[in-house]
Amino acid sequence: MRHRSRFAILVALGLVAAACSTGRVAEADLPDPSNWAEVVAEAEGQTVNLFMWGGSSQINRFVDTVYAPRLKDDFDITLNRIPVADTVDAINTILSELQGGRLRGGSVDLVWINGENFLTLSQADAVLSGWATRIPNARLVDWDSPEINQDFGLAVNGAESPLGSAQFQFVYDSARIDVEELPGSYAELRDWIEAHPGRFTYPALPDFHGSRFVKQAFYELTGGVTPWLGEFDEKAYDAASIRLWEYLQGIGPFLWREGTTYPQSLADLNSLFANGEVDFTFTQLPAGIAADIDSGVLPATARPFVLDTGTIGDSHYLAIPTNAAHPHAAMVVANLVLEPDLQAAKLDPANGWGDGLAVSLSRLDAAQQSVIARVTSSFGEFSVPASLLEAVRLPEISAEYTLALERDWDRYVRQNRPLS
Amino acid sequence: MSARTDHSANALTVTSHNPGVWLRLAPAMLIVVPLMAMAVGLAVVQSFGIFPVTGRSNPSLEAYRTLISSSEFWRSLTFSAYIATISTALSLAIGVGVAVAFRTVFSTKRTSTFFLQLNLAIPHLVGALAMLLLLGQSGLLSRVTNAAGVTDGTIGFPALVFDSAGLAIIAEYVWKEVPFFAVVSLAILGTVAVDYESVAGTLGAGRIQRFRHVTIPLLLPALLPAAVAVFAFAFGTFEVPLLLGGTFPQALPVLAYRRFVNVDLAARPEAMAAGVVIIVVGLVAALAYQRLAGTLRARR
Repeated sequence: MRHRSRFAILVALGLVAAACSTGRVAEADLPDPSNWAEVVAEAEGQTVNLFMWGGSSQINRFVDTVYAPRLKDDFDITLNRIPVADTVDAINTILSELQGGRLRGGSVDLVWINGENFLTLSQADAVLSGWATRIPNARLVDWDSPEINQDFGLAVNGAESPLGSAQFQFVYDSARIDVEELPGSYAELRDWIEAHPGRFTYPALPDFHGSRFVKQAFYELTGGVTPWLGEFDEKAYDAASIRLWEYLQGIGPFLWREGTTYPQSLADLNSLFANGEVDFTFTQLPAGIAADIDSGVLPATARPFVLDTGTIGDSHYLAIPTNAAHPHAAMVVANLVLEPDLQAAKLDPANGWGDGLAVSLSRLDAAQQSVIARVTSSFGEFSVPASLLEAVRLPEISAEYTLALERDWDRYVRQNRPLS
Repeated sequence: MSARTDHSANALTVTSHNPGVWLRLAPAMLIVVPLMAMAVGLAVVQSFGIFPVTGRSNPSLEAYRTLISSSEFWRSLTFSAYIATISTALSLAIGVGVAVAFRTVFSTKRTSTFFLQLNLAIPHLVGALAMLLLLGQSGLLSRVTNAAGVTDGTIGFPALVFDSAGLAIIAEYVWKEVPFFAVVSLAILGTVAVDYESVAGTLGAGRIQRFRHVTIPLLLPALLPAAVAVFAFAFGTFEVPLLLGGTFPQALPVLAYRRFVNVDLAARPEAMAAGVVIIVVGLVAALAYQRLAGTLRARR
């Protein structure tokens, strides 16, 4: 009895705590990028808490040794990188703080973000908007391109500033598979999988790479991306997606572990690949896998390739929560990462990253363009040629499709329920 | 999760009539209770669909209704209950066995306790990773059997990790909890039990009779709360099934986590409802223990 009453008190305390939590920030002292000198002045001496996926030690090192010293020297800004296992952890921190009534002085100043997490923050109206198109280096960004101004089909509205770009690619081991054997489409991939039981798998959705793999299959099996470019059409999706689930259920018994379980992340898939348990993994980096080979994540004989039927490319961004403690300094960071020399450094896998450009080549001057060209020509066999990537690049589609694919994958593939 | 279950188990064994006990507990309670109250309180509030950030504030039981009507929830609930039950039973049986064996092997209790505390400092997270590296299809064991010609390649090695039977999860819990049960047992075996057993011996009881009628009844009052704590922990902990579990079925805490990190904020109340269910199961286990302990005491 005693314990039960104590529990009731706990619940009551929680209710009180949760009750005092709604409300919004006043617009007054938010940074105004059109008065950049003032933003920079205000940012001086501030510390920026940058929340970002921390799963790659090379990328972490790049941020700490390239961005951080530059910010310190040029702007007296301290960059405090906070690694998260998944960006969604940062999202949850932001939302929990807002709900707890922390409308100013939040612990997240800047977050490295992509489509589905941007959608979550937008749903909760938790990011500053309208600033990204007005920072000085926005002129280097092609804001007219849907690859920049739309994120998962959601209008960006200047609520996030691009950091880089990526494109989905397959990775195989040239020591195990001949180039001629590589599948050029999902149809050919099915033949390969059936001929090599247990040698293929993909990360369980909602993992980003798994989601990409399935979405591309959806494109190919339903007649291409074109019909899906507009707003979410549930009826058409329901009718067409059956072919996708038939395909995925069909290959299930021939996958690693007969498709009864799937790796949870790309890191898990990479270790299966490196251990020789499966023959394919994926990458998102336009510069390819040189950095992953250097760090020993992938074997030296690994090579990337793309399907003839296309792979999805997109951009990733930096966003500032509405309750950021240091939005001025955060904006300076978002502007700095667009500097042409830093974009070139980030593109170079020799610096550990190999991330695609966020700035548009045509908006750079001749000297900057030649620096980029020199980096690109150094990629070699560990990357897919930029012209080929460009040729097969497919766009993202509305976030609702991604959500629907994740929901139905959970039903028809993970739980293996019969198609109704 | 571990803090919650461990504390509730300790609180149950405290004799609450003694005010000095509460005084001594106060510093710990001052930290634990408010933090726990906030967390549990927020979880309960959100499970009723109250989530001001998204502009929803009408309390409803929708999340619980959705959860209860989904077959996956019941699959996860039974999967977690299965893992917790098997892990607890195996750890308890092996733990008592180890304690009895150690008592005869080592002359002092100190030596036995030393060996049993070897894995105490290793967190479950590290234990789970170790199981992954040891039992995985490309793990150490698989490499050894492959080299010895017992198994053929990675596929030839049985799927102990990421499997639907949760074998590696159970192995991790048993590895970690056996010493716990053994230490608890040794505390009794080394002191009280010795006298009673020798008395029973002089009265003509055989080894098995002594074990059955003297040792076990002496151990039971100490082992039961330990078993409740282990059960509640194994049922509610998240990192071990996340690391070692397969894609389907998912342990209930993993299901809660997946719902929590879903891009769709609407899934948040379901995550919290699943969390509340885990708390309730823990409380039910604790209450059941109290009833059982009461009956045991009454019988004596």
